[in-house]
Amino acid sequence: MERREFLKKSGVLLAGTACACALPLLPAAAKSINVDSENTAGKKWGMVIDLNKCAKDCNACLDACRKENNVAMHGDKRWDIHLIRKVTLKRKHPAESPEISVPLLCNHCERPPCAQACPVKATYKREDGIVIVDHHRCIGCRYCMISCPYNARFFNYRENHEWPNKDNTRSSHGVPESCNFCAHRLDKGKKPACVEACEEINAKALIFGDLNDPGSDVSKVIAGNHVRGIREDFGTKPKVLYIGL
Amino acid sequence: METDFETIEGKSTQFSVLLAILAVLALAGLYATYRMYVEGIYLSGMTNRIPWGLQVILAVFYIGLSAGSLVISSLYAIFGKKEYKPFARISVFLAFLFLVAALLSIISDWGRPDRIFEPFYHLNPLSMLSINPFLYNVYMLICLVYLWAMFKEKEKLVKIIAPIAVIWAIGVHSGTGAIFGFVPRELYQSALLPPSFIAAALSSGTALMILVLLLLFKVTRRPLDENLVVRLGKLLAIFIVIVMYFVFVENAYRLYMPVSHEAGMYFLFGGFHSWVFWGGLIILGSIVPAVILFNPATVKRIPWIVVSCVLVVFGVLCERYIIVIPGQTHAPDLFPNMVVVSSALAEGYVSYSISFYEVLQALGVVGIIGFAFVLGLKLFKMMPTEAKVLKESDSVKSPSEEKELEKQTVAS
Ligand code: SF4
Ligand code: SF4
Repeated sequence: MERREFLKKSGVLLAGTACACALPLLPAAAKSINVDSENTAGKKWGMVIDLNKCAKDCNACLDACRKENNVAMHGDKRWDIHLIRKVTLKRKHPAESPEISVPLLCNHCERPPCAQACPVKATYKREDGIVIVDHHRCIGCRYCMISCPYNARFFNYRENHEWPNKDNTRSSHGVPESCNFCAHRLDKGKKPACVEACEEINAKALIFGDLNDPGSDVSKVIAGNHVRGIREDFGTKPKVLYIGL
Repeated sequence: METDFETIEGKSTQFSVLLAILAVLALAGLYATYRMYVEGIYLSGMTNRIPWGLQVILAVFYIGLSAGSLVISSLYAIFGKKEYKPFARISVFLAFLFLVAALLSIISDWGRPDRIFEPFYHLNPLSMLSINPFLYNVYMLICLVYLWAMFKEKEKLVKIIAPIAVIWAIGVHSGTGAIFGFVPRELYQSALLPPSFIAAALSSGTALMILVLLLLFKVTRRPLDENLVVRLGKLLAIFIVIVMYFVFVENAYRLYMPVSHEAGMYFLFGGFHSWVFWGGLIILGSIVPAVILFNPATVKRIPWIVVSCVLVVFGVLCERYIIVIPGQTHAPDLFPNMVVVSSALAEGYVSYSISFYEVLQALGVVGIIGFAFVLGLKLFKMMPTEAKVLKESDSVKSPSEEKELEKQTVAS
């Protein structure tokens, strides 16, 4: 008698717990993310950066990005946002090797730890391979920044008062940002602002296009050169590749 | 043995003053959170390189305390050690409150706390930060049912729910460890973090429970048998050793593996956090209390136990710091064969300092939880009239014996 009642009660409890476990998985399973523009359907965007062509004192891509995406500069290293930034590097050996200038941006990892980490799917990978932040859903927990091993994510610690490009949104404080390959431009059939700027000054160090299409510029460059991503050993499979790194 | 529970009086001026102080703290925390919500969280000490700061450290710390206090109640409910029954209600109540404290810390730290319901609509089942809130919410529910069952003296229900609560607490801790362990950074990435979180939770939780009990029984002038505290102290000693073991394995592995050797050296000898590690966790938080608690002469003396408990809690707080912070100040080396000459972002090693507003937020959480705890003691019958080691005559009966007895009574 006692035992039966015990079994019954624990059974009910266990079943209840199991149901409770499964509940949150339902809405998540039902949702998948689609890209609706025909300009991006079936594509897999990628970029090659030819460091031999990138001049050390050139900031054309950075300036274009700032203007296009209304990126905030607060004049403080702690909070400045750089969707694309440049670092100057030197080989460790030999000691007097030349300095190279490397543009760094979000690698749009094929296996993005940032999107794995985001608790609300505000950071997600689109079908065309772009890793993007939904600023209207993000709760600002910054777990994506913790998870990105490339320091490619930046947080809007302060309010941004600049808004040069009224065609694009300006994010409020409290959400993170990273390069999204100018997804709003791609959807309209245009190239990312940085790539366009680099082409305009005829440097052509940034080569952008569809990795799925063997005839695209970027696929040809990849086929004809030795390219590699940053720290590919992380297993994140970066889609921003470098020549001359 | 029958244990009687009662509410505390709560009529003295000291009681009102205490409540007032806690309320002021809570308001200060709310003010700081409001400022951050309006102006941005640059008011904290966090930067683009250190996106997680004091609130995350404390949240993880609170979660640990929560599971630890639950263990005390399980001693009675699962292992049938009736002499711990007087502590059962308080410990489950505290377990619940500490979890609330952890959630408050985390949410006050969000950039957009106004989107608090977002995780309920758009859950990412792959995210550790999604799995955990779910574990926490169910855990809080379990604690509430557990408490209710104890208040209604439903012994059977208590016996059923206690093991579920403990198993769930283990899940909660593994999950919390995984928040850090499953991140691709040299000083986070580790499969050992989930189990070592459980160990640290047990030691800090037990230590804090001992302190709370001693304080409560002293302030409300109730008799407490010292032998009970001594037993808990001996249990604590074992937990300390387990924590030290995990810390040792983790660091030995880091130093040995070429890929993380440099990060391991940075962790052990690389700056302020190394002082926190050696001074806070190893010497003050582990070795000193272990010596006190394993020494038969000192473990019998209440003042010594108090000292070691304070040190253990402090040590685990330090441990939380050195889990959360060095993993960020040391970023993965993106260009192993290169030197970074210049960059717009702070590359390489950076440092983190806690800001005034973060401290206010932290005090606010302490205020809210303290207020709820004291008020709870006044409203609900949680304080036992006394607590003592059972005498031979009414010594502990094993669950099977108890069943026999019950059967006999039912039969008769
Ligand atoms: S580089 Fe960082 S932010 Fe970009 S997809 Fe990879 S992990 Fe995410
Ligand atoms: S900060 Fe926003 S985008 Fe990043 S993990 Fe949190 S919710 Fe997702």
